[in-house]
Amino acid sequence: MDNFLKPLALAAALALAPAASNAGDWAPPGPITMMIGFAAGGGADTQARLIAQGIEAKYGWKILPQQVTGNSGLSLAAELAKAPADGTAIGMVVSESLTYSALAAGDPNLQLDKFTPLATTASFELGLVAMADGAFNSWDRVAEAAKAGTPIRFGIASDRQADVAYLFGKSAGIDFNIVPVKGGAGVMNGLRGGDIDIGWVAGAQSKAVQQGEMVNIASGIPAKLKDSPDAPTITDLGSTFYLDGYFMFIAPGNLDPAAREALGAAINDVLNDPATEAHALVAKGFGGADVITGEALDTKMKTLLDNAAELLEKASAN
Amino acid sequence: MSELLNYIWLGVLAVFQGPEIFSLFGFGIPAAPVMVLGGLLTGIAVGATPGLAGPMAMAASLPILISVFGFTPDALLPVFGFLIGIMKGASVGGAVPAILFNMPGTPDALMTTLDGHPMARNGQPRRALRIAQLSSVTGDTFSDIVLFICAPFLAVVVEAYLDLPEKTALLILSISFVAAVMGGSVGRGLLSVGLGLVAAFVGTGQALTPRLTAGVDGLADGFPLVAAILGVLILGEIFKGIEELAHEKAAARAEARADGPRLRDDLEKGDIRRIAPYIARSAVIGTIIGALPGVGSTLAATLSYSLASRRHAARRRDDEPAFGKGAPEGIAATEAANSAVSGANLIPVLSLGIPGNAAAVFLILAADSIGGFNPGPAVFKFTAPEINPELVTAFGIFTLMSIGNLLNWTIGGRFMRSMGVLARVPGQILLPVVLLLTLTAIYVQETSLFAIWVTFAFGLVGYLFRRIGVPVLPFVIAFILARPLEQTAREAFAATGGDPWFLFSSLTSILFMVAAVASVALLSRK
Repeated sequence: MDNFLKPLALAAALALAPAASNAGDWAPPGPITMMIGFAAGGGADTQARLIAQGIEAKYGWKILPQQVTGNSGLSLAAELAKAPADGTAIGMVVSESLTYSALAAGDPNLQLDKFTPLATTASFELGLVAMADGAFNSWDRVAEAAKAGTPIRFGIASDRQADVAYLFGKSAGIDFNIVPVKGGAGVMNGLRGGDIDIGWVAGAQSKAVQQGEMVNIASGIPAKLKDSPDAPTITDLGSTFYLDGYFMFIAPGNLDPAAREALGAAINDVLNDPATEAHALVAKGFGGADVITGEALDTKMKTLLDNAAELLEKASAN
Repeated sequence: MSELLNYIWLGVLAVFQGPEIFSLFGFGIPAAPVMVLGGLLTGIAVGATPGLAGPMAMAASLPILISVFGFTPDALLPVFGFLIGIMKGASVGGAVPAILFNMPGTPDALMTTLDGHPMARNGQPRRALRIAQLSSVTGDTFSDIVLFICAPFLAVVVEAYLDLPEKTALLILSISFVAAVMGGSVGRGLLSVGLGLVAAFVGTGQALTPRLTAGVDGLADGFPLVAAILGVLILGEIFKGIEELAHEKAAARAEARADGPRLRDDLEKGDIRRIAPYIARSAVIGTIIGALPGVGSTLAATLSYSLASRRHAARRRDDEPAFGKGAPEGIAATEAANSAVSGANLIPVLSLGIPGNAAAVFLILAADSIGGFNPGPAVFKFTAPEINPELVTAFGIFTLMSIGNLLNWTIGGRFMRSMGVLARVPGQILLPVVLLLTLTAIYVQETSLFAIWVTFAFGLVGYLFRRIGVPVLPFVIAFILARPLEQTAREAFAATGGDPWFLFSSLTSILFMVAAVASVALLSRK
């Protein structure tokens, strides 16, 4: 029986092979497991699930979302590294996971070159945020208070943010009390409860800023923030580093180029189609879709990786 | 003030304008109130079945509910509705077999057998059941009202006056208190709490390499919360139950039969006036005890019963039955007290994120699984103009509880009286069914066989705890509180600029720490 079937299977595979190398015709060989590196129910999780929903609707590919959280996205990376590299396993993380966090953790199996970046979805609208009616609603007031000897609590949600906050403070001559909290939501809760004074938030502050509850006292990315075009960038204020980054999809290393192209195109397609819920969510809560794929993405990741290496070096030298 | 009213209104709207479950004659029927009703009926049935308790039903239904309603914030109120329904239903239902067959349906109903069963044997089972229902629902409603008023107030006070070091100290105090008051001795409580903390520290933390996992990848994000908690609480109980079944000789079960002359069997004139003062006192006792984390409804029932017994003995007329002989006051005192615990128990849950009993543990588990609602002081932030969705959910929960009480007042009693038959379901059938449901439920939610093994391992832990008399609830509560504790301690340490003595940096936190030590030192027994 086996001997009879094997050549048949081989023939079938050969017949299908040329078709499979063409990205336009690529289809996953089975249901796609979509690992999500963010807590269920949050903004990033919703984004991932809506993208999955959009791809299912447009392409008919079956997608199974699954939470794999912990260790700044590295738990997801470890899990994804074990999955087959045939397009049936993808994961959503932030660019920071495979650059700064991977370098800092130092596991050789979890570095950027062991994975295939598929597509970014949105870029961080990262701001240094404070309460609008509080004592620290502008950088001048922060600097003044620090000069007067008031300890200032600086909320951060990742080690990279902590390093940038530390070096930023150092360049401005301020010794911040850097408080690690859980995610951007943790920073915003801390601000509202008065437990912290200022903190980084990567986009979730948008609504609170628009409604006048909070202010972006500085932009943490190499551009002005959409909500606060008047806020200076942190490099204007003396920082040598930015906290730019992306929400993005990745796949195991050595992914079939056709699969990479097809998956990247599918994500792009869903996010840039105004009719999808994913598009609406990203437009409302993440400053709009910002999809980078293919070689442009490789170049972008290389730059982010170099920046991360430099940041780590600077932070540990100090 | 208008802000408060606005949020209350939004909470009510969230319940009635939430996702629809089906439509009837073109009108969409909102899911949340329907789920309260479903939960309430389930709860009464479960409570009326000896060997099943509210937490078991909550455990089995939670993952099913989540797979029906999904992980979106829209799912919160329907899921909470069902769980709250079970919680309320079970405390009423527990009285049914206690009264009819002298078998408490839930551990809380133990004291109800003392007067409820004699009254049933004297030919008035219906009267006993009505008194039980009336007292239970009154106690519950009173407790809920206290919750509605106190939880927001307490949360606002905590946020306004407690800084990170004080919040850390408060968590330490709650864990110490739970260790001190639950179980046979303080030492066992501390053992349980300590093991719970150790289990929770696996895989979590802030380093980029997971800690204490012994190289097991599946533990990189810690033990799955659902698997660990259901393992200890439910599987442990089932294993113990199976062992007991193996030892048990087919014990003859008492039947409800009338020994005395046939009496008119319904509430008698003056019953309500007689039991009202007892209900009132017991409701207050139950509410106060319920507000303390870890002190259970059994203590509330025992305390109320003995106080009521003393008062009754002093005032009884000769023609009235004494306590233990079928006194309506006895039924009223225990049922009002044990039901009053459940509402007040949510005060520390909603305002501080600290669960005090198994039902509260499942509400936290539901919130944690679905996401979008994190019980704790941050819930009660009256933000404007931006709406705080967690606060709307909190008022939605209050609305659900009020609906639950209304249903309990109206149809609960009728349904309850038809549940007597459930007391005859044998354990040999019940336990495997619950085991299968629980395991399926865990697999549905975690979709990994590893989670099932974790559940069994924790089930074994729960079984061993029960065998050597170590209370399991402190383990579970410590397991849940370990993460907030570590997180807050870390934040407090960082925010004070790395002060190692941050726990002793203010008068309030020193007071909390002293109280923590005192609770362990002063509450030792035996």
